[in-house]
Amino acid sequence: MEKFRSTYGKGPLHLIAVIASFAIATYAFFEIAAGSAPVNFAIWFIAAIVAHDMLAFPLYSVLGVIAGKTIGPRPAAPAGLTAINFVRVPALLSGFAFIVWFPIILGFSEPEVIRSTGLDTGPFLGRWLLLTGVLFLASGLLYALQLRKLRRART
Amino acid sequence: MPKLPKPFPDEPPPGPFQKSFWKSPLRGPWLTSILGSALLPLIIICALTGFLSHVAYYPELGDNSITGSGGISFDLYFFDWPSSPAWLYAFTQGLHIISGLAAIPILLAKLWSVMPKFFEWPPARSVAHALDRLSLALLVGGSIFVFFTGVLNIQLWYPFGFSFIPAHYYGAFIFLAALGLHLVGKIPVARKAYREKGVVKPLRADLAHTQPESPEEGTSAPEAPGMPTISRRGLLGVVGAGSLGLALMAVGQVVGGPFRNLALLSPRGRGFGSGANEFQINRTAMEAAIKPVSTTSTWRLTLDGGVAAVELSREELLAMDQYTESLPIACVEGWSTTQDWTGVRLSDLAALAGIEGAAEVTVQSLEEGGTFNQATLADSQVANERSLLALTVNGEDLSLDHGFPARVIVPALPGVHCTKWVSSMTFTEV
Repeated sequence: MEKFRSTYGKGPLHLIAVIASFAIATYAFFEIAAGSAPVNFAIWFIAAIVAHDMLAFPLYSVLGVIAGKTIGPRPAAPAGLTAINFVRVPALLSGFAFIVWFPIILGFSEPEVIRSTGLDTGPFLGRWLLLTGVLFLASGLLYALQLRKLRRART
Repeated sequence: MPKLPKPFPDEPPPGPFQKSFWKSPLRGPWLTSILGSALLPLIIICALTGFLSHVAYYPELGDNSITGSGGISFDLYFFDWPSSPAWLYAFTQGLHIISGLAAIPILLAKLWSVMPKFFEWPPARSVAHALDRLSLALLVGGSIFVFFTGVLNIQLWYPFGFSFIPAHYYGAFIFLAALGLHLVGKIPVARKAYREKGVVKPLRADLAHTQPESPEEGTSAPEAPGMPTISRRGLLGVVGAGSLGLALMAVGQVVGGPFRNLALLSPRGRGFGSGANEFQINRTAMEAAIKPVSTTSTWRLTLDGGVAAVELSREELLAMDQYTESLPIACVEGWSTTQDWTGVRLSDLAALAGIEGAAEVTVQSLEEGGTFNQATLADSQVANERSLLALTVNGEDLSLDHGFPARVIVPALPGVHCTKWVSSMTFTEV
């Protein structure tokens, strides 16, 4: 047992779980390969990892760093009020809506949507912009109110 | 035992492989565990309702199966999908879309919380570690793949060159297989984090009291943490708000009525006018290439499977006993709309065709191609008194887009199996 552990790195139960997991995954791949385009499937599967780990993550991290450097925790702002969060929170919420609904917001599926539903994708960009606007407006108002409250408390 | 040569240098390459690269003081086993604990129930609901949807299509009947075309032909169905209550499919499939959308912000936050682990050095410490990391690739790829294909499908965007249904369905197998292995390894880690820090205790800390987690080997807690700019409860609050917001938008298109306006960004969130036929269309007659000439007075419904085929004109159908039922069209895309349908009972049509016992029926549409130009219904669905071949909706003739001259409407049946522009029905006694 000790020999197995030192060669393999973990106990035999781990290996059994790994085999079970990979067997099911391989079975599923064979089902896909039999019915649909397996190469495309594999490309999109790997692209999913690349898109997140090598594009989306670095992109939003860099945006976060830039925002942090520009807005930063301003020394002028009273303690307890972190200006960056009043940008970060509405941006994140608007971003969540965008990452889910971008095909319809940008009208990528316009022909399919018209043919299927009988309606176009016209209003969706405006609706998302409105949602974003409302979120930032609410955040800005909240920031102004908090700032006033803290300044009053100080004087 | 002989020492194996080291495949990787001790010193990690610069950049994200260096532990000092990762600054966020919020990352650590507790944060990842709480996000995982929030994510898991949503994934379980989403997976179960997904498999239920598969069962609801009765893949074992006729040409209903759309997942295993020439594959290993192993199919998961444990029971017969009921046709009561009528809202059952609207409910389960609504839950599928709501839980799936709600999971996305939490999934993204969880991936963010473990990013340092993707840049672990050395990339593989042992065979077991290498297998774990390979499985993680399946977990990350599988989760993003399954959620993303689902999200694209509800927006009718198909840029990928594979068939959505089998890819989403079997992609879920890959994702869940990797998730199972992940849970075996990570439940103890989460329990340890909760034991040491408490389940909710770290949520009590405001920004001033937000401390980094201890940088233990193999965790995502930073070795050189920066100053926190948001508390953990602040982070979880934003993620939770995003999750709740996406869920509410999806609820709008399931519940319908005045709540449909909540589905701000969904293609099924747009209202129609106020006429009898002014409600959500799944596929237009144009998309299905229905020729108006085939739906005029020359149209006949053929009932087959009895002693001899029976042909009925629309007038003859209207002369039969008419029944009105308030039933939802419930789409696999997670939207539904309940309308008052009037027409003849499927069981009356079976009797007219000369069928005496229980029978399945294969309904054929005038539509010439397409995956859903036919569907086979189970005997229990044919026998249900609320199952209709509808001729009118809300007191008016069906519009061409809603299936004129006649369409099937069956309680708790996935919308695409409620065949529109029906041309023939073939009964098979069981």
